[in-house]
Amino acid sequence: MPYTHGTQEWEEAYTAVTKKRMDSEKKPYIYFMPEWVGAWEEFLKADPVYKSVALPDWKGAVVLHVLKNADYGVEQDIYVYLDLLANQVRSIRIVPSDYGKSGAFVITGTIERWMAVGKKELDVVKGMMQGKLKLKGNLPAIVRAIKPAVRLVDAAAEVGGLMPDAWTPEIIESIKETIKNMAAEFNIN
Amino acid sequence: MPQIELSPDVEDGGMASMIADIIKGNLQEKPKRKNDFIALNGNIYMNAEDAEVDMTLVFNKGSLMVHNGKVGNPQICIATDSGTLLDLANINVKFGLPYYFDSIGWGVITKLLTGKLKIKGLVTHPIKLTRFTKLMSVR
Repeated sequence: MPYTHGTQEWEEAYTAVTKKRMDSEKKPYIYFMPEWVGAWEEFLKADPVYKSVALPDWKGAVVLHVLKNADYGVEQDIYVYLDLLANQVRSIRIVPSDYGKSGAFVITGTIERWMAVGKKELDVVKGMMQGKLKLKGNLPAIVRAIKPAVRLVDAAAEVGGLMPDAWTPEIIESIKETIKNMAAEFNIN
Repeated sequence: MPQIELSPDVEDGGMASMIADIIKGNLQEKPKRKNDFIALNGNIYMNAEDAEVDMTLVFNKGSLMVHNGKVGNPQICIATDSGTLLDLANINVKFGLPYYFDSIGWGVITKLLTGKLKIKGLVTHPIKLTRFTKLMSVR
């Protein structure tokens, strides 16, 4: 039986799995896997740049939506949910799709686009203008918060990570397995 | 409710639909700016040079059609990078006018003076530009 998202049990189990993987997996972590998301969360929680640009009255989650691509072992869409309040990053979690879609601001892109962002080859704002990254949500609100929003994504590049163009067939198999296990355990479908 | 439409060549996402959504959202949040929307007439062209994306807003006294690329002979043309275009949307409005005496406003003025932001029609169509700046401003 998978844990039910939104419960204390889900949160505790997710945190435990992330910590275990952060301890056991080799660095650089694979981009968008739970250990990498955990490293991004640690980075942002301590990031003075984010704190300096974040809006004091900010409320609402920003979600990075990675479109599925079986060639990379990502056989379902991934929703990475950044729970934000004022200038605090409260948590970053891979969440069930229904919950991810409910985020106040959802930025959607293919895995190749996110890789380009992670390698600093694609500027987020430019990517949105070009339609390479699609933004859903209240546009005036996100434009007011464009600097913190950009910082969140830029920080992902600073965390580093093993990017999809470096994924070997063995890594792709491990990604498939990880996503399958996360879906079974945490209801991330 | 002001009529704002995307021309068939405009896809979901991308600069044209983002700018249309910003204007729609602003008019919902700040209904007083409808007067500016209704007063605008003519074409305004915007070019995000770094992204190589451009668009035209065709205002017609209470309606707006948003197109990709350049349409007609716009009276106002704005060319800059993507980030500065969003800075323009962050200009504060005070006493019903765009306010340039804070960090965002000064940043925009500096870019104008250094040529990083180019606005054709700044001198010849100041009222139209002021109305458009208010419509674009999320502040």
